[in-house]
Amino acid sequence: MRQEHIDEPVAVRADFQGGTITPLAFRLRGREYRVARVNARWVDRVPRHPHFYFSVAVESGDVYQLQLQAGDLVWWLDSVTLEG
Amino acid sequence: MEEARPPADGTGTLLHVDIDAFFAAIEQQRDPRLKGRPVIVGAGVIASCSYEARRAGLRAGMTLSEAKRLCPEAVILDGHAQVYRCFAAEIFARCRQVAPAVETYLDEAYCDLTGTERLHGDLLEAARGLKRSIREATGLTVTCGLGPNRMLAKLVGKTVKPDGLARVTAAEADAFVRDLPVEKLPGVGHAHARTLRSLNVRTAGEMRALPVEVLERLFGAPGRLLHERCRGGDTAVVSEREIPLSISRETSLHRDSADRREIEGLLEYLTGRACRTARELGIRPRTISVRLRYSDGEGDEQARSLRQPSDADPVVLALALETLGRLFTRRVALHLVGLTLSNFARAGAEQGALFDEREAGRRVALYRAFDDVRRAYGHGVLVSGRALHLKGHLEEDEHGFVLRTPSLTR
Repeated sequence: MRQEHIDEPVAVRADFQGGTITPLAFRLRGREYRVARVNARWVDRVPRHPHFYFSVAVESGDVYQLQLQAGDLVWWLDSVTLEG
Repeated sequence: MEEARPPADGTGTLLHVDIDAFFAAIEQQRDPRLKGRPVIVGAGVIASCSYEARRAGLRAGMTLSEAKRLCPEAVILDGHAQVYRCFAAEIFARCRQVAPAVETYLDEAYCDLTGTERLHGDLLEAARGLKRSIREATGLTVTCGLGPNRMLAKLVGKTVKPDGLARVTAAEADAFVRDLPVEKLPGVGHAHARTLRSLNVRTAGEMRALPVEVLERLFGAPGRLLHERCRGGDTAVVSEREIPLSISRETSLHRDSADRREIEGLLEYLTGRACRTARELGIRPRTISVRLRYSDGEGDEQARSLRQPSDADPVVLALALETLGRLFTRRVALHLVGLTLSNFARAGAEQGALFDEREAGRRVALYRAFDDVRRAYGHGVLVSGRALHLKGHLEEDEHGFVLRTPSLTR
């Protein structure tokens, strides 16, 4: 497993129904990646405004970590984990 | 919170919640490609490993070189302390929904359910509901043990790991403990077990033949506790521990180094992080301990006391650097450096210097401003003094420098 840090703001299409945030797709460098599965979600409540984290698998199988910072409602793409 | 001692007549009910293979399970949760594979989290030594890895003979504390020899296909990850902290916080929040007093550690919690029978009805069912709720919220499994005291709750849970639930009642306690090897009792480590074996005492039942005076002579004050525990008793309370016992921050170096600038920079950075945690908890340490491990495996540690408890970075750092100077005497590269703050006083509870109040007030305001900025934008946005040297040498994320073996508050 190889993790690469990306640390870029990204545009994310997400579902907020029922008070649950579910990222559906994100756009990185002009290409749209559809979320095939949300593997895990967790919240960091230590910062003044919570940060919502998501580990998502895209259709290729690669695993990305997305983050929504509740303070400014900006989505960040933290990293990608690649096989090998 | 006021501490309540469990009733000595065995009518109390304690629930022990243990997160199964904590760090490794989270990594498998975050990346499903790791499921079913032996996963190790740690740097230098195994901090946590999956059950697949345990089946290959791996266990926490084993060196990674030994682990690789035993299980070459294991996936080794450095770990993500901040992620683990978030998962633990979620699990412990759910424990607090069912129990009025919860004592938490890194990957386990003691929940005092004494007196909640009217609220919950069947406590075994309440524990089952807690397990379900934790699983739904985090995807993680926990093992729960119910017993009339802390020790029995934990011991009975160990018999059904992972993802188990078991109960031992006060009536069953005697038989449950009698045949346990002495090493299984909390407080009996390798040294104590060796001493007991030399007396031909191998089980808790055999230990009961030793009078309390003999146990005290052998093991000091803890001997009285062991006298109680080998009979299935444990009067230790569940404490919310608003004041932690210690705050540790340590890391192994990305490459073993004898470069004083790098080591002092790391120590300054670790001091900043530990002091910030202390300030956020409203506590000030009296004791500061610096720990080193050399690249040849030898280690050293020294603790020293401040004249006044302090949470100010420069005060703590000055003593930490002085201690480092005394400790780091060998001409061998360092593999790990760590700092522990302990022996805390509540901020404001200690006497201040009479004429320094204005200066102290200015300093408090300054650190409050630093902490606010770091809380909003990450610890790494403000780096001072020697730690500046780390810029460009260590990776950074939104939480500051990425440490190889970050540790948590206990």
